Amino acid sequence: MEILVYGIINSVTLALMALGFTLVYGVSRLPNFAHGALYVLTGYITWQLLNRLGLPYFLAGFLSLALVGGVGALMYHFILERIRGMAISEIIASYAIGLAILEGLRWAGLKGGTFILKPFIEGSLNIAGVSVDYQRVLAVVLGAALVGFLWLFVNQTRLGLALKGMAQDERAAMTLGIDSDRMAVVAMALGSIFAGVAALVLMPLGSIIVESGYQVLILAVAVCIVGGLGSWTGALLAAFVIGFAQILTVSYLGAHWQMVVALVAIILTLVLRPSGLFGKQKELEERV
Amino acid sequence: MFEALGLMVFYENMLALNNVSLTCGEHQIIGVFGANSAGKSTLMYTLSGLMLDIAKKEQRAGGERITIRGQLNYRGGDIMNLRPSERARAGIILCPERRRIFPESSVLENLRIASYLATPQQAAETLEFVFNLFPPLTKITKRLGGFLSGGEQQMLAIGRTLMAQPKLLLLDEPLLGLSPAIQYWLAKAIKEIAEQRGAAIIVAEQYARPIMPIIHYGYILENGSAVVEGDKDQLMNNPDVKSAYFGA
Repeated sequence: MEILVYGIINSVTLALMALGFTLVYGVSRLPNFAHGALYVLTGYITWQLLNRLGLPYFLAGFLSLALVGGVGALMYHFILERIRGMAISEIIASYAIGLAILEGLRWAGLKGGTFILKPFIEGSLNIAGVSVDYQRVLAVVLGAALVGFLWLFVNQTRLGLALKGMAQDERAAMTLGIDSDRMAVVAMALGSIFAGVAALVLMPLGSIIVESGYQVLILAVAVCIVGGLGSWTGALLAAFVIGFAQILTVSYLGAHWQMVVALVAIILTLVLRPSGLFGKQKELEERV
Repeated sequence: MFEALGLMVFYENMLALNNVSLTCGEHQIIGVFGANSAGKSTLMYTLSGLMLDIAKKEQRAGGERITIRGQLNYRGGDIMNLRPSERARAGIILCPERRRIFPESSVLENLRIASYLATPQQAAETLEFVFNLFPPLTKITKRLGGFLSGGEQQMLAIGRTLMAQPKLLLLDEPLLGLSPAIQYWLAKAIKEIAEQRGAAIIVAEQYARPIMPIIHYGYILENGSAVVEGDKDQLMNNPDVKSAYFGA
């Protein structure tokens, strides 16, 4: 029972971390290696707004999400747009931006212990004999809400449908009046906000540290590779596969094996099924 | 309404389009005929603006140097420097070669994505028109684009461009890979589009026979140059065109 409950929580956590990354990659084929940095940045900005300016929690959260969304959009507009389509340069540039943000934060004095976000709600809950704190329950609820929001956005709104078109065939979308760069800006902003939401929900479970930026990036990449790059359903499924595998490892092998699971999953996927669980994009392409 | 003057396109030093000029009036259907590698797709890419995007990407990646020269006049302004999405917004919509259907979206979703530039009223009205024009699509609205037959894909591709509210529709090889019966049926549908949607249409095609009867004016493209032009009677009576395209 404990495995089931914590497996679900861990899976949703992973999905939260990975959704933004897979959204950006799916729409613009842009691997955003600054994803983890945006995650930490959100936590840092929120902490500053809370403690320096004394803003209420919700306001601080929304403001920092807006700011991080803006950072993502500007990052694309001023840097990534010029090297679009050259995969290696995209990786180097986005990773460099991520390094600059993370190490910049370290320089600005961000270190473990002092920077702590309070949980939204204190206390814990008893689910079928397993004690779970409210913050983790909230993470699952928000994670589900975010997936629901993404689904509605992508299937029911004009902008969301345009993103979906751009994700499938850039050139065809362009002939229909959908602008490639504008969609990439939208995707980057949304992806950054998703990283921010993950940070706001998950950071109260620990403290804000620079290292979690790298960890989130590794986990997001692992989830996306296992799920099939750019596939949103694949990422969700992979989050559950890796999430449960991690919890099983923790309870049967020990906690320090947890990170290895994600790395082994990357290697196994690349060896056995390089296009990922949901590499259906390729199969369909061959039919057309 | 639309006028291309002295279009030249170079891939490095290779001349893909050599001084091509064409005009298209309101509600007219213009044919551009030519064999493979005559420059039809290059012409269509240049008219729709995709060539600008291709050139930009090649330049970024340090690939081929693509040079575009000439003038494109559309409704009183030069549109040569407008990006593809801006040209689409102005009403110039390309139906690309090989259709490029969104493979993971259903037929209906393909059409909904394409209504990006339309108001909700326009989208609803056009959707009805598309389903009336291509009745087979109504039976497969839920099927994924990747699983359609060639004919179904082409109907969907044309339907998709209609959703974007074209004033000038560019069709690049719409008959490619289709059976003769469907080719004639599609040619009739293209004529209906020009008449009922009030759109001007430029069709680039290898198969002149089904398209020739519906055009107002046509051009024959050879090695990047427009070697012959004329209305359909002039074209069909030209001995060179006859032997090359009608096997007589």
